Amino acid sequence: MEKILLKNIDKPESHKIESYIKNGGYNAVREALKLGPDDIIQRVKDSGIRGRGGAGFPTGLKWSFIPKDPTLDKYLCCNADEGEPGTFKDRAIMDNDPHLLLEGMMITSYAIGAAVGYIYIRGEFEFGAKRLEAAIDEAYREGYLGKNIFGSEFSLDMYVHRGAGAYICGEETALLESLEGGRGQPRKKPPFPALAGLYGKPTVINNVETLACVPAIIEKGVEWFKSTGTEKSPGPKIFGVSGHVKKPGLYELPMGTTLRELIYEHCGGMRSDKPLKAVIPGGVSAPLLVPEDLDTTMDFEAMGAKGTMLGSGAVIVMEEGTCMVKVAYITNRFFSHESCGKCTPCREGTIWITKILKRLEEDRGRPGDIDLLEELCGNIFGRTFCPLGDGAVMALRGAITHFRDEFLNHAAHKGCTA
Amino acid sequence: MATVIINGKTSSVKDGTLILDAARDAGVEIPTFCYQADLMGVGSCRMCLVEIEGQKKLQPSCITPVMDGMSIQTETPQILKARQGVLEFFLSNHALDCPVCDKGGECELQDMVYKHGPVEGRYAESKHRFHEKDYILSPVIVKNSNRCVQCLRCVRVCDEVVGRNVLASLGRGHEQEETSFLRSRLDCDHCGNCIEVCPVGCFMRLPYRYKSRPWDLKGTDTICPYCATGCRMVVEERDGEALRARAQIGVGINSETLCARGRFGFDFINDPRRLTTPLVKKFGKLEPATWSEALDFISEKLSGIEGERIGGLASPVLTNEELYSFQKLMRSTLGSPNIDSSTRWDPVVVENYIAASAMTSGGLSVFDAAEADTLFVAGTQLSDENPIVDYIARRISAERGTRIIVASVRDMKLDSSAGLSIRHLPGGLGALMKAAALSLYESKKDKLQGFAGVERFEGLSADVLLGEAGVSSDELAAITKRFETSATVALTAGTDLLRQSCGILALGLLSDVLKALGKEVLILPILDRANQRGAWEMGVLPGLAPGYRTASKRGLGTKEMIEAAAAGGIDAMYVIGEDPVGENPSGVSAFDALSKLSFILVQDTFLTDTAAMADCVLPGAFPAEKDGTFTNQEGRVQAMRRLKAPPGDARAYLAIIASVSGVLSSTTGVCTKTNSMQVFNEIRKEAPAYAGVSLEFNNRKNKLNKLDNREALAGASEGGFTPVAMTSCAPAAEQRGEGEFYLITGNTLFHSGRLSHSSPTLTGLQKGAALELSEADASALGLSSGEEARVQGNDYEVTLPVRLRKGMRDGVVYIPEFFPGVSVERFFTTGVSLPVVKVKKS
Amino acid sequence: MLTDKVREEILKITAKYYNKRSAVMDALMLVQKDCGGNITRGDMEDIADMLEIKPHEVNAVATFYTMYNYAKPVGRYHIQVCRNISCALLEAERVIAHIEDTLGIKTGDTTPDNKFTLSTAECLGSCGTAPMMQINDNYYENLTPDKVDAILKGFE
Repeated sequence: MEKILLKNIDKPESHKIESYIKNGGYNAVREALKLGPDDIIQRVKDSGIRGRGGAGFPTGLKWSFIPKDPTLDKYLCCNADEGEPGTFKDRAIMDNDPHLLLEGMMITSYAIGAAVGYIYIRGEFEFGAKRLEAAIDEAYREGYLGKNIFGSEFSLDMYVHRGAGAYICGEETALLESLEGGRGQPRKKPPFPALAGLYGKPTVINNVETLACVPAIIEKGVEWFKSTGTEKSPGPKIFGVSGHVKKPGLYELPMGTTLRELIYEHCGGMRSDKPLKAVIPGGVSAPLLVPEDLDTTMDFEAMGAKGTMLGSGAVIVMEEGTCMVKVAYITNRFFSHESCGKCTPCREGTIWITKILKRLEEDRGRPGDIDLLEELCGNIFGRTFCPLGDGAVMALRGAITHFRDEFLNHAAHKGCTA
Repeated sequence: MATVIINGKTSSVKDGTLILDAARDAGVEIPTFCYQADLMGVGSCRMCLVEIEGQKKLQPSCITPVMDGMSIQTETPQILKARQGVLEFFLSNHALDCPVCDKGGECELQDMVYKHGPVEGRYAESKHRFHEKDYILSPVIVKNSNRCVQCLRCVRVCDEVVGRNVLASLGRGHEQEETSFLRSRLDCDHCGNCIEVCPVGCFMRLPYRYKSRPWDLKGTDTICPYCATGCRMVVEERDGEALRARAQIGVGINSETLCARGRFGFDFINDPRRLTTPLVKKFGKLEPATWSEALDFISEKLSGIEGERIGGLASPVLTNEELYSFQKLMRSTLGSPNIDSSTRWDPVVVENYIAASAMTSGGLSVFDAAEADTLFVAGTQLSDENPIVDYIARRISAERGTRIIVASVRDMKLDSSAGLSIRHLPGGLGALMKAAALSLYESKKDKLQGFAGVERFEGLSADVLLGEAGVSSDELAAITKRFETSATVALTAGTDLLRQSCGILALGLLSDVLKALGKEVLILPILDRANQRGAWEMGVLPGLAPGYRTASKRGLGTKEMIEAAAAGGIDAMYVIGEDPVGENPSGVSAFDALSKLSFILVQDTFLTDTAAMADCVLPGAFPAEKDGTFTNQEGRVQAMRRLKAPPGDARAYLAIIASVSGVLSSTTGVCTKTNSMQVFNEIRKEAPAYAGVSLEFNNRKNKLNKLDNREALAGASEGGFTPVAMTSCAPAAEQRGEGEFYLITGNTLFHSGRLSHSSPTLTGLQKGAALELSEADASALGLSSGEEARVQGNDYEVTLPVRLRKGMRDGVVYIPEFFPGVSVERFFTTGVSLPVVKVKKS
Repeated sequence: MLTDKVREEILKITAKYYNKRSAVMDALMLVQKDCGGNITRGDMEDIADMLEIKPHEVNAVATFYTMYNYAKPVGRYHIQVCRNISCALLEAERVIAHIEDTLGIKTGDTTPDNKFTLSTAECLGSCGTAPMMQINDNYYENLTPDKVDAILKGFE
């Protein structure tokens, strides 16, 4: 398969505009300006691309919600707050091929009528933020950003906004809140950002990888894009594999690649002779899968059918001997640490669960702990303001379902039986 | 309209109605924590989740609007379980120290757990503690974050309603805490609305701390006596001591809000210095006496004095019934036309003010004014003087987009909600309004052919007016543009118009031009004494009888009475609740004047300066110690009830007036009614505007979510009167020279007259007066904040600490009214509305 | 007190946004870097003044995000070892224990010479090269005890 997302990242000086242009960059945006906004939106719709940030919302549809009123200011925000544990794909693009993202943002801004674009990058990615700022400077210098780009009516300013350590800002309305200088707590919807987003103006928020797909859709065409992946989840996807495999790393593969192929062919299989015990297929919010599920394809539908999700495509592989109570503890500790505090079930529930899991992990369990955990999951799931709480609960429920004995043994002071 | 089915019952509600409101309308109660009527919905507590047919997840009813045909369930097993779950989460990190919590017994969390919660706790982990000991946030607020349920009502009410914005959430997740900057002491309005909205014992009142349990308190509905907004509140007592005042959701125009004065200032009632027995002067000294001794003494002294040689002065904080009876006693029993209700306002100016602000046309709801397209706030330091009107304007402006224009000399809190703030020169408001009227008239001259009173524009020049107002032509254009593009314009008529009479005529002119342009014009009086409007409507004015009828004989006003006393023109004065000696109106020494009288009768609650020189002093009662009605500035007539007996032998003024009338009159029954309801029924007859007023006690919210009880608004007065023409209306007569400043005055946020200085809590919030001036002026005088300055003028001098004010116009200083030791009125001369004072570093 | 240099930079940042408030996160970070890691009361008041917001609003932001070392000063080199799932699977705990032993401090503490502060961090997005740590703005990946020794030596 021809790579479009990771094609440049290993090239020398790949982050420089000269290198990007030499490798065919910035052709798509010229093409796009000829097409006009409506055509671009139609093409993106036709391509069937779905958001790569985790929720899988059809990108073209999202763009089409933006009012056409030319008197309204509109904004594009790139969600580069990559924070779902196990996920490291967007960082690779921003560090090594920033112009690919910029080009995607230019086309998108033109399509939705935005004159300003912000890249909300998580604060820890200082290196990436500097790379992006340098790339933006280059783009201004070469006339790709600024007033009347290529002599057209289209003008675009682009800025990097650094986060400062808050997973919740990956939620789009929390991101807007943070960008406006507030505490990153989600806003109620409606109004949806497409109508009242940043500074109350129509706003599109797209993930880095989604935006990075846009130039290829314009340049190579809708048919080309749809020729990869599955019918309902077309196109390529970056899978970031970590954990107990021989060759962890990023793999750009068609949507619908099986987990087995990803782990055993591309990643070279397990790191030692211990067999695979479980795999988290889409970041820690996604319920885990077990060896029987390895032939499941990595796409939105198949993952959903298995009760889990494709999420960000972050695949975390665990070998036999991994303590699932500890895995559950680590992930829930993360969620309670990142809970923003806004709604009751998430704020109070995730910390309660974490305290129980910590006891279990330290062999200080009590009878009834596991039942209580499941009850608490039930009191959080579907009751929270935003999906963070749901994510925490789904992963834990999955772990308990598949490895109940391990949890029970911890609760009964029998030590870790993993 | 949308049709919704709630628990199987179909009802019809307005489009966009929230599910929660639709349910409450249909009589279905849904429990909530973060929801608060009048605050923007946040949907964070998850207590109000409901099932909507066709939707997988439970939805928060407090932020979800209904859709036509929506079917909603609120009591399914899934919902009951969800509520239980949320309550269990609340309790997991809650301090559960109910036995030592002031909120115990009236805590929403307690009530909710009792009603919907789990019966046993399963949380067996360590609890997060924010702090060990409660901490103090202000002289009136103490905080315990370990009890917080994170509803953020405190933060939101402070920002959205009070407009102070001093609270925020610090920290994240379960460590999130709503508090001040670094938990430090608050520099705020100390209004305590954060306490009132707190569902649990997280924000608590410091003065009430550990004083009582809610079930040991006895409370009654009354009306705040501090300004003319007319806030309803409940004052609660235990063992005869008034312990707290609070407001209630949906009751009164203030709903759950009060200002610092209202919430914390009622403690004057417990003052041990209060008068508890009649006093009669014997051998030059006031001695305790029985009521019958005192009444006999009064009868003996007064019956020898000709009616017209007696002056009567009653406080505008008396009830309508007391004021009505007093004027009747003065006019009928004693036969004196000399009666007034203020030491400050000139009765002629008052008559013109009444006419210009259309008070004779009946009541105007503050909500109508706030919902106008444009609200022009002028002549009042509204945010300090009438804080709840400020709250209402801010909230409604945010909700409906009312455009607020603030025209004032000093900055005020409402500026943050105003699209346009104009800082005019002191005394320049009249010129500003005339300039606006002139500009509107000239731009639409063709449309305004035949405008009645066009001669009022004669000789007016925009440039001169703008110069007098100290306002730029751009600012004027911005004002007129807003007026032009509004269908309804509300204008406030603040007390500055009573100080500077020029403004009154200008208000009339502006209002007439706007009406001629087809606008609906609403004029909202803004007054600073609780029953000032009532006093006028009861005829406690030298020229007006009850119901705004021209008095059969015009008598003397306060100032004239004092002058007459000095000149030997009157022999006696009957003063209720006012202190002309202490307040020294109009530069005349009231002490010297009153010394010449042969008899002074005072009814008061304290031994004021006037009472101290009286021949007889009768101990009276405060609101909460008596029944009666107040008419607020809107013309809203509201009843209050007696909570407790006045201390000692003190009596309600109405009873005292009846007794005095009884001993004076041979024809008994002239005004001996002691039952306020009976007096009110007489008022209904004498003042037809009151005939149809409903006094239904609880001004409850109706289904339309309105706090407005229009049945309480007074009607139009029949007949009407023609005010005596005002003689002069020259603005800024004096020019200021080097080192001289224009002096302005008014109430502060914490003090508005004598009463507030008897409140230990309010005195704790602000003890002394300060001189406010701009930073530039201060630095020119070599003064910095807190240093003392000497202010001189009109043969009077006072030394005051300095407070710098960013939003003050240069060349202007402000000294508050009614502070002990500072008689700001002494700087004013009769006929000069704008005094000039010298300020020097002390 | 903000230095003139920081003030100038904050002013520049405000130009990126529709309103000044949006610059509060960058402003806090600039101040933190400029003053050596500790944001003070005065700093927050100054930032509020510059951005025309209230000090408690700055305080609210400063305490929401974990990268502001508000009220807990850190050493010259702030070591943050990822402890989240991918790193944990590849024995991040061993890395943490090794650093604790080497520096003679516990997680959360600062060495007496104020050189290093050791803390743990949630996922830093470097999962394919786990275990990893961040020292100030730089990432160090595929860590082993030997590698950690070499890295720490580099700061001497």
